[in-house]
Amino acid sequence: MLFLKLMDRLKQYSYLVAVKSLLILLLILLPFPLISSTQDQNQKDFPFPVSHFKLKNGLQVILSEDNSLPLVSVVIAYNVGSINELQGKAGLAYLLENLMFQGSSNVGRMQHISYINRIGGEWNAATTEDKTVYYQTVPSNQLALVFWLESDRMKNLEITESNVHRTKNSIIEEVQHRRATDPHLESFFAFDRLIFPDFAHSHPVIGNEKEINDIAVEDVKNFYSTFYVPNNAVLCVVGNVDGERAEELIRKYFETIPEGKVASSVPVQKSFDKKSASETLKDTLASIPGFHLGYRIAPPYSRDYYTLKILEYVLLRGKSSRLYKRLYKRERLVYDFSAGIEKRKDLAIFKLFALCNNEIMVDISLRAVLSEINKLKSTLVSEKELTKSKNMFKMDYIKQFETSLEKALFLSDTFLSHGTLDVLPLELNKYLNVEARDIISVVNRYFNSDNRILLTIKIK
Amino acid sequence: MKLLENKQKTSIIHKLFFFLILLTFVFPLLSQERFRKSPPYPDPLNELNLPKVESAPLSNGLNVTVARRENLPLISLQLVILAGESSSPENLPGLATFTANMISRGAVNLSSSKIEEILESIGGNFSTSTFLDYSLFTFTFLEEYLDEALEVLSKMILQPTFLKREIVNEKRNMFYSLREKGREPEFVARRQLFKLLFQNHSYQNAAYTEEVFRNISQEDIFAYYDKYYRPNIASVVLVGNLNLRIAIRKVSHYLNTWKRKELDRRFIPLPAPSSKEKICLVDLPQAKDSTIYLGNIIFPRNNQDYFPFIVLNQVLGGTTGSRLFMNLRESKGYAYFAFSEVEFFRSCGIFMLKAKVRPEVTYFSVRESLKEIEGIIKEEVSSFEVEQAKSYLIGNFPFKIDTFENSCYRISEAVAFQLPNDYWNNYYENIMLINAEKVFEVAQKYPLLTPVVIIVGDKEKIMEHLGEFEEVEIYNSKGELQYKQIKGVDK
Repeated sequence: MLFLKLMDRLKQYSYLVAVKSLLILLLILLPFPLISSTQDQNQKDFPFPVSHFKLKNGLQVILSEDNSLPLVSVVIAYNVGSINELQGKAGLAYLLENLMFQGSSNVGRMQHISYINRIGGEWNAATTEDKTVYYQTVPSNQLALVFWLESDRMKNLEITESNVHRTKNSIIEEVQHRRATDPHLESFFAFDRLIFPDFAHSHPVIGNEKEINDIAVEDVKNFYSTFYVPNNAVLCVVGNVDGERAEELIRKYFETIPEGKVASSVPVQKSFDKKSASETLKDTLASIPGFHLGYRIAPPYSRDYYTLKILEYVLLRGKSSRLYKRLYKRERLVYDFSAGIEKRKDLAIFKLFALCNNEIMVDISLRAVLSEINKLKSTLVSEKELTKSKNMFKMDYIKQFETSLEKALFLSDTFLSHGTLDVLPLELNKYLNVEARDIISVVNRYFNSDNRILLTIKIK
Repeated sequence: MKLLENKQKTSIIHKLFFFLILLTFVFPLLSQERFRKSPPYPDPLNELNLPKVESAPLSNGLNVTVARRENLPLISLQLVILAGESSSPENLPGLATFTANMISRGAVNLSSSKIEEILESIGGNFSTSTFLDYSLFTFTFLEEYLDEALEVLSKMILQPTFLKREIVNEKRNMFYSLREKGREPEFVARRQLFKLLFQNHSYQNAAYTEEVFRNISQEDIFAYYDKYYRPNIASVVLVGNLNLRIAIRKVSHYLNTWKRKELDRRFIPLPAPSSKEKICLVDLPQAKDSTIYLGNIIFPRNNQDYFPFIVLNQVLGGTTGSRLFMNLRESKGYAYFAFSEVEFFRSCGIFMLKAKVRPEVTYFSVRESLKEIEGIIKEEVSSFEVEQAKSYLIGNFPFKIDTFENSCYRISEAVAFQLPNDYWNNYYENIMLINAEKVFEVAQKYPLLTPVVIIVGDKEKIMEHLGEFEEVEIYNSKGELQYKQIKGVDK
């Protein structure tokens, strides 16, 4: 199962978070009123109706009715990812994601998938550094079926020697396949180790062969019973369903699942120190030279973060963005490049990966990138360019709730990130209110040589 | 405190409490076990309520079609030109696609990068696709910029410059992207199937390779543009928060100067289906597996057999639960995947099977695939399978219209194939009317057992496993016939 593919996609709209440990946060912020209707305030700014309540066992439930099509999407997001793995057990979170399809008390192996397929539904799952998400969209009259399936694997997953063994093998195959087909994979991992401050943030979600092999059935059981509990999850239902009927079914299937103990979270770094580094990687697999360039930036959803996001659009979103024009179109310096802001729980980085035709071009491209950044330190972005960047951002933002599934993923992400949905009505404006002078100040604050991480890839 | 003093009372309360616990926790637990044992029954199916589709023509013949969707502040627009790759001249395949791709590469007083900037300034996304019978320009933007969107669209469509410099750029683009695709076995197989099924028919144009672009000149592009980019064979389809009156006013403001020109369109007759099984190997050196595409020509899109046939297709190979997949992958272990599908055009349709298998079982996989088709023709499929297929098709349909662009596309498709405006509203009913008997009937009607069979793979690995076929035609990766092998002997 190549869930990782989707994981990459999901990352683009991962909305985590300036919260400390969400577990702790939930406890502090709660009790929510049993049913709080978030849409009351600022209704006109709120793009769609949403209600939120919590079950007795701590499961957070978000409902949003949308009757445009006879579909319903159900997302269960567990607040656990590779960040929660201990050293020596890398890959455990992803292993468990795969195991969730291997059967539970009343659902046979891979049956979850065939139940959904049979009725024309679609499903998938994804593990990131900070969350594990299961989702499906089905004809709306089949809502109960999805609850039956999801509650069964939340309640009692079959974690057996043979299931674990089989899943480990298939993941190891996947790791090997990815390594064989992506010549730059190792350099991405090496760059993560350079730019992120600790093991928790920097190790790859997919793990590595040795550590996956070392994971014992007991480890999996402990991980499951610690993190796959209702009070560590958000259930989000969006689509053509009656709110009361949905709530009745949710209580029936989920409320009797016992609450879990609150996990004592592994201590992880919550902020960056200033750091600069410049290293060279002689890659045995890579046939094209290139570089990774990164800056440690403000935490997600801090004041500067919104400005940084608009800056991302000015610099590199779309064919009329500054770096795309300079690197790709005008001077043809790079062969390929990808870049953007990446969030992992409390930390965010800005990074750029470029491949060039030869090593001289690597130098020239790098200088071109730095000169584009430097321009932004002293010259205001014109009103016209800023509006363009914001409009592109706005379109991407709006499209996050185009389908019931996207909406459900968006809502569960927002909730995991902020511990509430109350931020929603004002969120878009935080981006759209960014001014040209804010951009100058964040570029000066974060894009400096003492905060720059560079990894150059040389071919052997 | 009082309670504590009265022991009697406390004990009663204890008992009561115990009973309450029993009531609230234990009893539900017992009943809970029962409902968790088996999957619940579905609720009654919810209705499909699609937005009303309305249309009206402008005075120059341009058709404007609107469907209202209110939930997001954006608009999806599609411009449909009812001329596609089959309208490319015989000696210049690829010209229709090339011309369409040039549309966003410059207009009078607008360079291609200026166009990109304008498109992005309104949060817009513009893309082009060319099919056999029509070309499609898809444009999604923030709703407050409808005027700006129509203005830039009108400049692109009415005043393209087709500059030589941009032609060179686009040639390079298309050359490399097609050469890249030419390494994908699925792409090569599909191209070869089209080439062989559509011999002596203008649909064969679609089977072009990366070499064709070098022959295209600026004059060719202008000539094609002048002939086919006409309002009387075009439609603008809009999905968003607007009605037909506003749409007509706005579209007319920007596109009413578009000049109509009658064109003499010859009717493209239905190509003759293959009447004999034909085995073709396309050599793609280094390919690991055998990729099999086999298919034949069936009826066109606008045809009453459409619904029974898509149910048939679903039973045979629509999903991982269908017969082909269950046989070739789950039971025999030959294939990584095995599916069937239908694709429709204005003059005909294609029914095809696709499978990726291990080279050493290529022959058996072709045989098993044909056996599965035979099964559906010889014996009526069970009602259970038909109902499964129907429930899948009904359940999956809304996914095809979930985004603004997807619903726009369904409407454009209906426009292109001259289906009624409310066509999709009746989808559920049309599927529900199908039964095993109707599937059986339609299975008899078309020559499904005499397909063209395309096998794409490394000749070195596959050839020795094809000896059982009577005759095999060997092609190179560009699709050119090299030689024939009869009963395992080269000719």
